Amino acid sequence: MSRALPSRRARWAAISLAAASAITLSACASPASGEAGAEGEELTVLLISSHEGAAGWLKDEYEKKTGVVINPVIVPYDEIGAKLSLDQQSGANTIDVAAPWYVSIGDLAADGSIQDLTEWIEGDAEIDEGDFIPDIYDPYTLVDGKRYGLPFDGDTHVLFYNKEILERNGFAAPPATWDEYVEQAATITTNESGDGVYGAAVFGQKSPLILGASFANRLAGFGGEFVDSTGAPSINSAEAVAAAESLRDISEYALPTPAETAFGEGNGAWFNGKVAFIENWTDLGVGSQDPATGSLVADKWGVVTLPVGDPSIAPRASLVAGFTWVISGNTEKTELAKDFIKWAASSEVNEALLTSLPPTGIDPNRVSSLESASYGELYPELQEVNRATLSGALAWPTGKNAGQAAQVLVDELAKYLSGDGSTAQETLDRVQAKWEDLLG
Amino acid sequence: MAKSTTLGLPPVRPLPRQAPRRRAEWAHRVFATPSVLSLLVLGAYPLIFIIAAALSESSLGRPFQQFVGGDNLASAVADTDVIAALVRSTVYALGVSLVSVTLGVVVALALHQAVAAGSFVRTLFLLPLITPPVVVGIIWKLVFNPSGGLIDTVTRFLGHTGAPLSLLSSTDWAFPAIGVADVWEWTPLVTLLVFAALLGQDPEVREAAALDGAHGFRLFRSITLPAIRGVVAAVFFIRLVIAFKAFDLIVLMTSGGPGQSTTTPTYLIYQAALQQFDVGRAAAITLLFAAVVTIVTIPVAILTRRLQQ
Repeated sequence: MSRALPSRRARWAAISLAAASAITLSACASPASGEAGAEGEELTVLLISSHEGAAGWLKDEYEKKTGVVINPVIVPYDEIGAKLSLDQQSGANTIDVAAPWYVSIGDLAADGSIQDLTEWIEGDAEIDEGDFIPDIYDPYTLVDGKRYGLPFDGDTHVLFYNKEILERNGFAAPPATWDEYVEQAATITTNESGDGVYGAAVFGQKSPLILGASFANRLAGFGGEFVDSTGAPSINSAEAVAAAESLRDISEYALPTPAETAFGEGNGAWFNGKVAFIENWTDLGVGSQDPATGSLVADKWGVVTLPVGDPSIAPRASLVAGFTWVISGNTEKTELAKDFIKWAASSEVNEALLTSLPPTGIDPNRVSSLESASYGELYPELQEVNRATLSGALAWPTGKNAGQAAQVLVDELAKYLSGDGSTAQETLDRVQAKWEDLLG
Repeated sequence: MAKSTTLGLPPVRPLPRQAPRRRAEWAHRVFATPSVLSLLVLGAYPLIFIIAAALSESSLGRPFQQFVGGDNLASAVADTDVIAALVRSTVYALGVSLVSVTLGVVVALALHQAVAAGSFVRTLFLLPLITPPVVVGIIWKLVFNPSGGLIDTVTRFLGHTGAPLSLLSSTDWAFPAIGVADVWEWTPLVTLLVFAALLGQDPEVREAAALDGAHGFRLFRSITLPAIRGVVAAVFFIRLVIAFKAFDLIVLMTSGGPGQSTTTPTYLIYQAALQQFDVGRAAAITLLFAAVVTIVTIPVAILTRRLQQ
């Protein structure tokens, strides 16, 4: 007996039902953060090369969740601001979202290259502003009372030490003060430089993110500030002078030579077990344990908060190179971009990036991810030192001309460290005068 | 009735001169248009843009925000780092150009003599020229690396036991070290051009001079050099301009350091425009730099023209 064919009306009804079911199911499958996106849409995201690993993770996960295709554009760390600004100014408008250095957001905002997100952030409870680490949240996103983004990479420096090298040279514990740090490094370099082992790798290449970071670490430890409570420059304070002098003192005993040492040279020496100390981002610990990095120091390292100027001073974090999610000024995909950065700055994503392998180079930006069980379980030491960001971290000035101010400081410090004949006080007095012009 | 000539020939009508003249004028204009447009687009527009930027408060994202007159220029002139960079760049350009041209001429003469060496050796000499500047910078940075670089390894092999040689960290030696890389990269261009000039020499003149007893340096000084001096001068001019533009090697090898010892105007312009977003300051330094380059290169250009004549 043959089966009767369904009528045309019945067939249309079945197709319509199937289509409606598919739409309903796909809507149910989409998470809340995917509502703005639709399958097949694309978003171009500008990131620095250190975040390439994170870019891959974010791309895969966001696509899985929403179907939106993420196109990461990777540039060197010191070109991201210029790339975003030129993209917007030229009318190309190819970039929808970017994660620039937080110091540059004032200049980007003044140029109209990024959007003011104040209303959206304040009006969207899902963002959970209160969960961002307070010492990170405002410096990374706030300029003149307006909120321009959400924190992405916390990026605070801590002091890593090689346990074997310290043990060989008779040191039972890492240094607590910057003076002890110089003393221990000097001893190690004297004893072992013949074998290519040095007391410390010091980032000294002439860039705000490199030499500027090394100075900021010491400024934090000596209890100084870039600007005072009113926002006026205070870069020629006694603490800042002590920081510059401490940096000069270590240069003599550092991996040859600080002026040529950037991330590649310093991290390479660390992974090869050639330096006892390195000031670095907390994610270096993740990389040190990862066989894929070629690390020879797995399970041979320890980490502590940065040294201080005096034992009476509490250790502070130094926010040397944090990065912020921003939305480009001329993008036509603002809603989708908002959805993406809300998701990418969420606690779940930050927690996943902290513990992901291969390492993503991301540090905590939220209290909940910093205190998460998974982070504490895998990297208890890193979790402990990262808690320093919870109390009085040192941040660079932001706002208009902040990038230029950072460069002025670094240029003058580089001259001082190269032995131009000026004292630390004279050097920083020159910086102070220029900063008063630039920052007011 | 038209007047007849004395020879009885019909009168000659005057040629309609206006139309061909107009056509010729239009043709001239049409043929000159590409040159004029090129000049405007490639020369005048950038110059006007730079001058306008130098006279205004201009950022990367928002150029020409406000007219500030000569403030940017005054600020650049008052900046000791800018003046030092201009002087440094001039000394560097003259130095590496002289070395490059001298070496290039010597190598070209050697190649010309060693005809048997053939195209393989000539191609080998051109390798630095076809190597991307980024690779050149990285190679030489590795050569000068104080922790296991070529120089460090060789000096240790030869018995050096003290602190490693750190040329790129020395305020005295960093620029000469960059100059070595620069000379290595660009001398092949000099060699190529001078070699071409040597090939264009009349061999009979050389042979006649040789028969008259001129050999070696005497032959070079009296016969070869006068024949190629115009080319050598032109090559020096080209090399000088290239050396003034040095940027990639500096970024890759020293980032302008240690201190400011390898900071050139090109590096300052890059910093001001692309790292500090201050296009007004970058344009002001560019104008100062253009003035210095013009002052230094004009005598060389005049000398080149005289020698070629």
